[in-house]
Amino acid sequence: MINPTTPIKAESKDLNFFYSNGMQALKSVSMPLYENKITALIGPSGCGKSTFLRCFNRMHDLYPGNKYQGQIVMHPDNTNILENGVDPIEVRMRISMVFQKPNPFPKSIYENVAYGLRVRGVSNKRMLDDKVEEALKGAALWNEAKDRLQDLAFNLSGGQQQRLCIARALATDPEIMLFDEPTSALDPIATANIEELMSELKQKLTILVVTHNMQQAARVSDYTAYMYLGELMEYDETTTIFTRPSRKETEDYITGKFG
Amino acid sequence: MQSEHIFKQYDAELEAVRAKVLEMGALVELQIVDALESLVSGNTKLAKKVVNRDHEVNALEVQIDEDASHIIARRQPTAGDLRMVLMMIKTITDLERIGDEAAKVARFALKTSETDRLLAPRFVEIKAMAATARDMLHRALDAFARSDATKVIEIAHMDEEVDEQFQVAIRQLITFMLEDPRTISMSLEVLFVAKAIERIGDHAKNISEYVVYMVKGKDVRHISLEDNLLE
Amino acid sequence: MTTETPVLQAPATASVLKNLDAVRAMIKRHKLNDYIFSVIGLLALVMALLTLLVLFSDLVMDGYARFNLEFLSEFPSRRAAKAGLLSAWVGSALVMLVTFLTAVPMGVAAGLYLEEYAPKNWFSDLIEINVTNLAGVPSIVYGLLALGLFVYILGLGQSILTAGLTLGLLILPIVIVSTRESIRAIPVAIREAAYAVGATKWQVVYDHVLKYSQGGILTGVIIGMARALGETAPIITIGALTFIAFLPPSPVTDVAPFINFEWLSSGFTVLPIQMFNWLSRPDHAFHINAAATGALIIIVTLLMNGTAIYLRYKIRKNIKW
Repeated sequence: MINPTTPIKAESKDLNFFYSNGMQALKSVSMPLYENKITALIGPSGCGKSTFLRCFNRMHDLYPGNKYQGQIVMHPDNTNILENGVDPIEVRMRISMVFQKPNPFPKSIYENVAYGLRVRGVSNKRMLDDKVEEALKGAALWNEAKDRLQDLAFNLSGGQQQRLCIARALATDPEIMLFDEPTSALDPIATANIEELMSELKQKLTILVVTHNMQQAARVSDYTAYMYLGELMEYDETTTIFTRPSRKETEDYITGKFG
Repeated sequence: MQSEHIFKQYDAELEAVRAKVLEMGALVELQIVDALESLVSGNTKLAKKVVNRDHEVNALEVQIDEDASHIIARRQPTAGDLRMVLMMIKTITDLERIGDEAAKVARFALKTSETDRLLAPRFVEIKAMAATARDMLHRALDAFARSDATKVIEIAHMDEEVDEQFQVAIRQLITFMLEDPRTISMSLEVLFVAKAIERIGDHAKNISEYVVYMVKGKDVRHISLEDNLLE
Repeated sequence: MTTETPVLQAPATASVLKNLDAVRAMIKRHKLNDYIFSVIGLLALVMALLTLLVLFSDLVMDGYARFNLEFLSEFPSRRAAKAGLLSAWVGSALVMLVTFLTAVPMGVAAGLYLEEYAPKNWFSDLIEINVTNLAGVPSIVYGLLALGLFVYILGLGQSILTAGLTLGLLILPIVIVSTRESIRAIPVAIREAAYAVGATKWQVVYDHVLKYSQGGILTGVIIGMARALGETAPIITIGALTFIAFLPPSPVTDVAPFINFEWLSSGFTVLPIQMFNWLSRPDHAFHINAAATGALIIIVTLLMNGTAIYLRYKIRKNIKW
């Protein structure tokens, strides 16, 4: 059972989403993101979980023709980040994202992490140095990187690159971090490292993660949402979803009877 | 179970374990029947058979435990599958205990037939108790086979019946012992038999409670009958 | 939801083992095709290279006598032995400069706008088709355009400026296309990562798009310039002089303001024209000069392309896509 007193960081209210070709990818999705908790989105391919995730940092705005309907409200300021008057740049400064395939810039490790700060106008070297170190420590990459900060990011291994991307997303002190299948391109040990990292990060911020791997959702998240064909089928504490889900559709998906 | 897994092999494995559990249940039921029969009729050969067959029961328990742990390791069962596997593991523990109790009865039967059978008429109460207990086990296994969570209520009632019958048996044995002190040691043995049968009833009740958790995800152990009825 | 169960025929190995000989014969046939094709390809390559090599060595052998520094530092004269390339290569260099300054800013900006800012509709598709077509327009047509527009209407005269503008227009499509191609090569993931960190459109374009496409753009520019170096028809059309014994005024003077632009409006000649001029004389001695010039043009072109390749390699070293 969900504790009604847990503070909510953000919530979607009746969120509908249409791609530019008219296809409706999200149908009336209403879901909370509890603060300092990890929420996982699971569901078969094409169920809309990545679409839903990318609404949170207005990634869809980059491609013309997409339409949002409904709200995503951030607390405590009660801002609807989907409103026309809200600047997506501002939203992205509060909500950052880590992508499926590690995508560091073709720059040095230092510059990768510092970029988010530079676009905000931070140019003081000392401040940048401090923030870069803080972010790399937060991403458990500092020890491996501190002697090679000017090295190209591409020279890192896959798992390290992904941690670098996490550091890059962390450097700007976001309130919410979005993870889009962050470990699907990584080997099991790198995956375990990232999952461990996520558990630690949630102490500072709120996390929403999309994953294809149900066991990962079970391991890592506090709350799980099961989506199918754009609709939110079931949302509950992770332990409940995986031991006694309320809906047959959820049970069928989780036990591998379909999906 | 209802629909099939995408991994057909998974379905096959689950089915195989279920079948083994039911096999163990049938064997244990048979043990109860045979143990009682050997006691009442003084058939020492049957009694020996029951005692030896207990090894089979134990072997099945070990096998099923092994199979279940394989399923957990390889398939990471969740939701309904997880509940079923967990409850099967608990069920076979109860089944194995029932088997032990039946073997105890059979051993007593071996001892009794060597001495005089003064107490032959006293077995009437025991027989009634045993019939009820065996029926309870049968229904519980049936409920498991059919994933039927409704049987728990009637089985709980039957357990109350067994308990009452047990109390009756105790009273009568006490009376018997008071009438003739020479029968005390034999009466005590009979008491132990009655106790064994009463335990069989308890184990059967446990199994029916496991079925409820398996089907509904609700844990009804340690809830009184009244509260159970309210659900 | 029913999922399909795979239906397997008997394992593939069985069918191979059964007809081992037939399968082996078939593989042998296919390998023969491989071999034949690679031989044909090699032959074609060798023939093309051989032709070029023969032409080049012919030029070098003919013009060998004139390969010395005086050739580069002397003005043309009526005596073949004394005729030099000074005015020609200086003219070429200055025209190349103007070409570069015309084509690159316009081409890169146009390519950038078309890729990043223009809305994707039928109109921008139309523009894209037309830009690619422009690359195929015969260069003499550009010459005519230049004659009418630059020389007469705008009154820029038969000058270096006109030549530079004309050639700039000529190679503009090449620059635009290579800019667009290099921008398109940037993976979407990098852009999204930049936006996700809170960058504005211009920050993404400047910090990432332009920076990472430098290699490709530079290559396109140098290839275009190499082409412009050898263009003769448009230059003739706008009226480059063929026999000049003077240099355009120097852009740097010792009088304030130390830079002047008079050289832009000066008369001039370029290497291909000088070569053409020498070739059309009956005196065989001048043909030697022409051959030497031709060899020089080829060498410079090869150097420019080589530089393009090297620069591209260096710039793209850090890029993994």
